[in-house]
Amino acid sequence: MFGPSGSGKSTLARCLAMLTTSTKGDVFLTGECLTKPGVDLNKARARIGFVFQNIWLFHHLTALGNVELGIRRVLKLPKKEARERTMQALREVKMEEWVNHYPAQLSGGQQQRVGIARALAMDPEIILLDEPTSALDPELTGEVIDTLRDLAKKGTTMLVISHEMPFARDVADEMIFLDEGTIIERGPPELFFTNPRTERAKRFMARLIKRTRRE
Amino acid sequence: MDFLVEYFPMIFKGFILTVQVTLFGVIIGLVLGILLAIGDLYGGKIPSTIIKFYVEFFRGSPLIVQLFIFYYSVPDTLNILIDRFTVGFIVFALNSAAYQKGYIKGAMESVYEDQMTAALSLGLSKAQAIRYVVLPQALRIVIPPWSNEFCSLTKSTAALLLIGVPELTSAGKTIASWTYRVLETYTFIALIYLLWISVMMKILDILYNKVKIPGVEITA
Repeated sequence: MFGPSGSGKSTLARCLAMLTTSTKGDVFLTGECLTKPGVDLNKARARIGFVFQNIWLFHHLTALGNVELGIRRVLKLPKKEARERTMQALREVKMEEWVNHYPAQLSGGQQQRVGIARALAMDPEIILLDEPTSALDPELTGEVIDTLRDLAKKGTTMLVISHEMPFARDVADEMIFLDEGTIIERGPPELFFTNPRTERAKRFMARLIKRTRRE
Repeated sequence: MDFLVEYFPMIFKGFILTVQVTLFGVIIGLVLGILLAIGDLYGGKIPSTIIKFYVEFFRGSPLIVQLFIFYYSVPDTLNILIDRFTVGFIVFALNSAAYQKGYIKGAMESVYEDQMTAALSLGLSKAQAIRYVVLPQALRIVIPPWSNEFCSLTKSTAALLLIGVPELTSAGKTIASWTYRVLETYTFIALIYLLWISVMMKILDILYNKVKIPGVEITA
């Protein structure tokens, strides 16, 4: 999902993750309506992973503690099983060497990989990623994008808000262009990269591609 | 100061009582303070208003007046007997809770909203998020103001002498009036307070450094 800033990408993602109440519309997860009355909000949130733009790790917990918290307290797995699953999630983002480091002792890219592991470890049905690399230095962006490529290859369902166009072109099944709170256009990446239907998408894509080339 | 040796058991008893009231007040005050802070932040309008009145009463009136109210008025009105020691323990706990609530609430607010959002996104309930994410961080921040509270509460216990509780200052007063050695007696008493407070400050300082989150400089 992409679009100019202020177009409502983050708001939409937060509504989908049940972190913001939407004024209109419903959220469906594998056919099940999550916005109807009587749905346990905490249970619904546990089924949806979320990775934040500004990372938002728990400052007082190590990488391990950050990943383990949800598994222990929400999924209520026994200690040993929880530890194994935590380590596996951290291995998947290649952070197994830093398990005992606190967030402040990690680089931005490492922190965000822990953020991804934290969402991943809950074994969610989908992971929403809200501009996971936009708070990072350009040289740290690569390691996070590589992690996401790995996850995509393994078949993890993800909705990624991103303007990393080469990444989107390679891994996305579908791209969504958002502007002023409305979905303007959606379709396979090839459509956007060759011939967007709408004028607005065309102009935005042209700018993005130019910027990517410069980099 | 040789004459004081004779009165040492009395001074020691007074000191123990002072320590007991302070520790009880500060620890029960902490537990109550946490509950009041949570109630104020997340409890909604009515609990929050009640908590504000409670806090205003205990922060806005002299401790001595509070002691008198609980020692004279409350038992009178309810037609019950409360012994002076119980009054001391209760008033210091309630009073300290009012102050500590302020420190804890401030610390909880300074643990940014984002920590709560991140916790909720994992499926933790609000209560779990407070317990596992917000409070552990807030309580670390609260240690320095908390040691101030400890320091001031210790000295406030001297007010107990007015309702006849034989704590440390009261012991000193008795000895001074028996021996007429006012200067030596009160100097000695003051030194005991000083020593006890210094030791406790050091302990809290060590605790603060021990639980500090690595890599983070926290400022309250």
